Formats: sequence, structure tokens, C-alpha cells
Amino acid sequence: MPLNTQTGYFSDNYLLRLDRVTHFFDQRLVFKDVSLLIEPRTVTLVAGPNGAGKTTLMNIMSGLISPSKGLVEHKVPRDKMAFLGHNTFVYSGLSALDNLKFWAKVYYRRLDDDECMQLLSLVGLKAFAHEKAGFFSRGMSQRLSLARVLMLRPDFLLLDEPGTGLDPDSRKLLREKITQSAQGGAAVVWVSHTLEEDLDLADKIIFLENKKQAFYGTTRDFSSRHQGKGFEH
Amino acid sequence: MTSKDLKLIFSDGSGIIQPILLGLILVFVFSLSTPIGEEVSAQAAASIFWLATSFALILVFNTLYSIEETNQARTGLLLSPMPLQHVWISKAFTGLILLLLAQLFFFPAIIVFLGQENVADWWALLGVILLVDWGLVAVGSLLGAVSQGHASRDSLLSVVIFPLLIPLLLAGIRMGAHLLGGADDESLSSWAGIAFSFGAVFTGAAIILFPFVYNEY
Amino acid sequence: MTDHSMTAKIIPALAITGAAGLVIAQYFIWVYAPVEATMGILQKIFYFHLPLAWWGLISFFIVFCASLVFLITKKPVMDRLAQTAAEMGLLYSGLALITGSLWARAAWNTWWTWDPRLSTTLVMWFIYAGYLALRQSIDNPQKMRAVCAVLGVVAFLNVPLVFLSARMWRSIHPAVFGSGGGGLEPEMMTTLLVCIFAWGILTIGILLYRVRQLDIKDRIKSLFVY
Repeated sequence: MPLNTQTGYFSDNYLLRLDRVTHFFDQRLVFKDVSLLIEPRTVTLVAGPNGAGKTTLMNIMSGLISPSKGLVEHKVPRDKMAFLGHNTFVYSGLSALDNLKFWAKVYYRRLDDDECMQLLSLVGLKAFAHEKAGFFSRGMSQRLSLARVLMLRPDFLLLDEPGTGLDPDSRKLLREKITQSAQGGAAVVWVSHTLEEDLDLADKIIFLENKKQAFYGTTRDFSSRHQGKGFEH
Repeated sequence: MTSKDLKLIFSDGSGIIQPILLGLILVFVFSLSTPIGEEVSAQAAASIFWLATSFALILVFNTLYSIEETNQARTGLLLSPMPLQHVWISKAFTGLILLLLAQLFFFPAIIVFLGQENVADWWALLGVILLVDWGLVAVGSLLGAVSQGHASRDSLLSVVIFPLLIPLLLAGIRMGAHLLGGADDESLSSWAGIAFSFGAVFTGAAIILFPFVYNEY
Repeated sequence: MTDHSMTAKIIPALAITGAAGLVIAQYFIWVYAPVEATMGILQKIFYFHLPLAWWGLISFFIVFCASLVFLITKKPVMDRLAQTAAEMGLLYSGLALITGSLWARAAWNTWWTWDPRLSTTLVMWFIYAGYLALRQSIDNPQKMRAVCAVLGVVAFLNVPLVFLSARMWRSIHPAVFGSGGGGLEPEMMTTLLVCIFAWGILTIGILLYRVRQLDIKDRIKSLFVY
């Protein structure tokens, strides 16, 4: 379907553009002709039933895999992009502090211990800074992962169902920080399980269904179109 | 990257103890193959030394690459601005350190169990070990990631890597035998040439090809 | 293959030519070529051994080329070609090793010797057996293709080193025997060329056939996945 013209398809102010992206896994079509535009300061939800290719779309957007067909145009440098997914990227043999310092190094950031501790206290892990991450619960690992993302101060933030398996407090923290990032000017792309809950946070939504882009536009349009229709999955 | 890997390996310990133990057992069992009172030839001793090293290589690189698999940190590295070749170099370097550490145990074992006492030239020996290890870790680091996620990754990796190593191992055995005072061999420099070309070829190939192995598909 | 009708036509033609060639080759081997003076009839094994060894090596070279092209273009057909060539190479070099071993037993009274060509073939056989084992064991087909292409490339880069080291290894051990008789008689040479040619046509035919078969297999699989 054509892009919503109100979203400014021709605008230059975008971080990422996908144009008629089609992807096959082996010989199986995952989705075809997905086109979208990610602008700064917006939250985009990626939704759709299981197996609709949400994670694949995220991987294409992050540049992890290249699509079988179509154009992907990235304007964000790699070190200004962060990914927070179901996998935490936490090394269980290292302490929380060491984990953070390692990722800082990988992203060529200079961080002293004080700054790291500050980040850890932001996510409520200050008391556990020197403990091995292997002993952390899922929620704690994900908080540590969030600290990694915050450290990067990303312009482009990709979230792939980061909330799964988290307790309400952690989820609240997550949503809070994400909203802050978006207000700070970052573009956020968010794969969501709990569409109804997260809809109010988002500006735009892309809905994948039947191997194609079933909807792409503002959340307002989406809500009015789906009025009364459940989109639980 | 290297310091992180070393920290992880040593905090756990099993990553390095296993290859050392396996190598020592190999040397010991091999010493049983010679009848009492007979000497083990320098070439046989060198062969067993490099065989133990090859097994250690497989275990070391499997451990090194499995570090990134636990919480899919590999994805994180792939998304980072760091070039992938950096991963290859770091792993190769960490592997080299661990391999040298293992050899530090294998060598005395060769002396004790296989009765090799007349080392001709210690510095040359160290040079030979480093030269051959270079080629070993170049291959190990290039292909170490291929068997990740597979149930029998150790044996799969050995089947893939061992045949590739043959020229290098032949060179290592020959040079080792020479320096252990066995064969009096004029072709030491050409063997060194083989080992050097092996290291150079695989380093070059790895720098170009490693991203294909490590990438997500 | 993109052009199915083309290959569908070429394959039978190649198969028929190859079969006919092999039949004609039999005439050359048993009637035209003289019986070798010292070895007698056993020397005939040579006419099987050499084409097999040659085409085996060429198959491995095809694996290398196809893998390289695959890494650059990502065309699945190149991956299928690499797989097919590896299978053929493995079969041929295996047969070459067996026939070579029989020959060695008859000619030199030993099953095995550190001849550089022999050892290189054996090492290659191991490498490509590992290659096929790896193909079997990676679940993600896209990853498997890329990884195997890398292996296909480095495996062949290794060949000169394997050959050199095998030759140097042997030079220390005094050769058990001389390098055999001098040149071949012209009739033998002709026979040999006929054999190599016939086997070559057959090999190309089988390669194309198998590539096409794998292609169809993939397409059938994808039909069921939908």
C-alpha cells in the first residue's frame, strides 16, 4: 500500500528509509513490499500476528541482515543506533559494571567508573554493580541491557519485545526511559506484544499481516480504522 | 575484547583446564605405546606435541566463540560500529595466549613422558612454536564460529579443521623433530616457509572471509 | 538453473555422448593400446585412474570457483554447483585413490606410499568430506551456504601448501622406487586422452543433472512450506 503522504515521504528529515523491501527466508517469502520511513522524535510500533516477520523486519532495519530485494537507506551512524531485544547481550561471567564497560569499549565510548555507576543507578542496579551478571534475574539482566542502551544515547532505538518476562516495575521503567529517549529526539521502533497497552506511546504503526504491510500510518488512523475490531494476537 | 574473553575464561576455568588435561592425557597415553627401555623418536614426540595442540585448538576456539552465544551477544557485536575483523583478531589473539599456556604444560610432559631432553636451541624452538601457532589460530579463529549452535560442535569442528591443518602440522612436526635433536634436516628453512605461507594465506583469507562466517542470515 | 529448457536439452546430449565416449574408450583401452611390457594387463587400470584423478581435482576447483562466485553474487545456483562438484570430486578422488592403491600394490608391491600426488588427493578427500559433513549439519540454509562457501574457498587455497609439504615430507624418506618407466607410447597417450575426454563429458553431464535435481528439490520444498 502507498505510504501516507502526511508522514512526509519526500521529506529529507529521516533516519531510515525502506523502499519496497521483500525478504525470503531460504525460499519462503517472509513479507513483500514493505516501505517505511523513520523520522526523529517519533515512536513507531511494529505489530502483527506471530510469524508475520516482525523480528525479520527489525533485523533488516538494524542492518543485521540485508533483504532479498528492495532498498534500505540508513542515515544513522552505527554507533548512534541501539538495539534492545529479548536477548540481553549480557555476559554472565562478568559483573554488571564490567558488562557496561565492555559495551562502552565496543562502541568506542570513554566511560569512567563513576559514569557507569550513574547509569547503573538509573536502572536501579547500583547495589549489584560488582556482582556477576550470571546471578541476575531476567528483569535485572534486562535492566542492565537498558543501561547499555542509555549509555549509547542513541538517535535510533530498536526494541524487539523487550518487555517479555519482566515484572511490572521493570516494564514501567522501560517505558519511562523509552519515552524520555523519544522526547530527547531519538527515533524509536518498537515491536510490541501488547498493542493496546503500548498504542498510546506511539506516533505511527506498521502492521504486518499475510506476508505484507497491512497498515502503515499514524496511530490515530489505525485506531479509527480498527474501531471495534480486536487486534489481539 | 581480548581482556574480556580472558577474564571470562579464567573466571570459569574449565575453558582452559579441559584442553590442557586432554593434551596431557594424549601425551601420557602415547608414552605407553613404546616398550619400556626404548626411546621415543624425536619425530614421534613432535607429532604428539602438535596433535595435543590441535585438540587444544579445537576446544579453545569452541569455548571462545560460545562465549558470544549465551545471550546472543554476537548480535550485539554485529550491530556495533566495530569492524568484524576485530572480532577475528581478538579471538585469534586470545586463542594464541590460551594455546601457549596449554603448550607450557605439554612441553614438560613431552620431556618427562617421552624422554626428550636434548633440545638443540630453545629460542629457535620458541620461534617455531609461535610460527606454527600463528597458522593454527588463524584457522581456528576463522572457522571456530561455524559449529556454534550445533549439538556435537567439537567433533564437527575437528572434522572440518584438522584436514586443513595438515601442511602446517607436517611443518611443525618436521621442525620440532629437528630441534628436539632428531632428524638432521637441512630443509628447516623451507618448512618454516611452508608454515609462514600457511599463516599468511589464512590470515589474508580470514580478513576477507570472516564476516561471511560470523554474520547473521 | 535459470534456463530449464536449455539444461534439460543439454543433459541428455551430454549423457549420451559421455556413454558413447566411454564405450569407444573401452575399444581403445583393450584393443588399440598395447599391453605394457612389465606390468601386463594391470596397467590398464591407469586409464581409469588418471581421468578420475584429474576430473576429481577439477571438480574441487569448480567448488572453489562456485564458492567464490556465490560469496560475491549470492546466487543459490552457485551454491548448488559447489555442492555437486564437491560430491563428484569426493567420489572421483575416492575411486582414484582405490584404483591408485591397486596399481601401487601391483606395480610397487605396496598399498600406500608418501607420494605427493597421492597424499594430496587423500588430504583433499578428507577436506571435502568435512565440507559435506558441514553442509549436513547447519540448520539455517542461508548461513550454511555462506559458511560452506568460505570453506570451499580456503580448502582450495590450501592445495598448493598440501602438495608442497607432502613433497618435502617425502624427500627425506628415500623413495622406495624409481619414478617408473619413461614416457608413454603414442598409442597409450591417445587412449588416455580419449578416456579423459569421455569421462569429462560424463562428469559435466552429471554435474548439470545434479544441479538441476537440487534446484527442483528446493522448489518442491518451498511449495510445501507455503
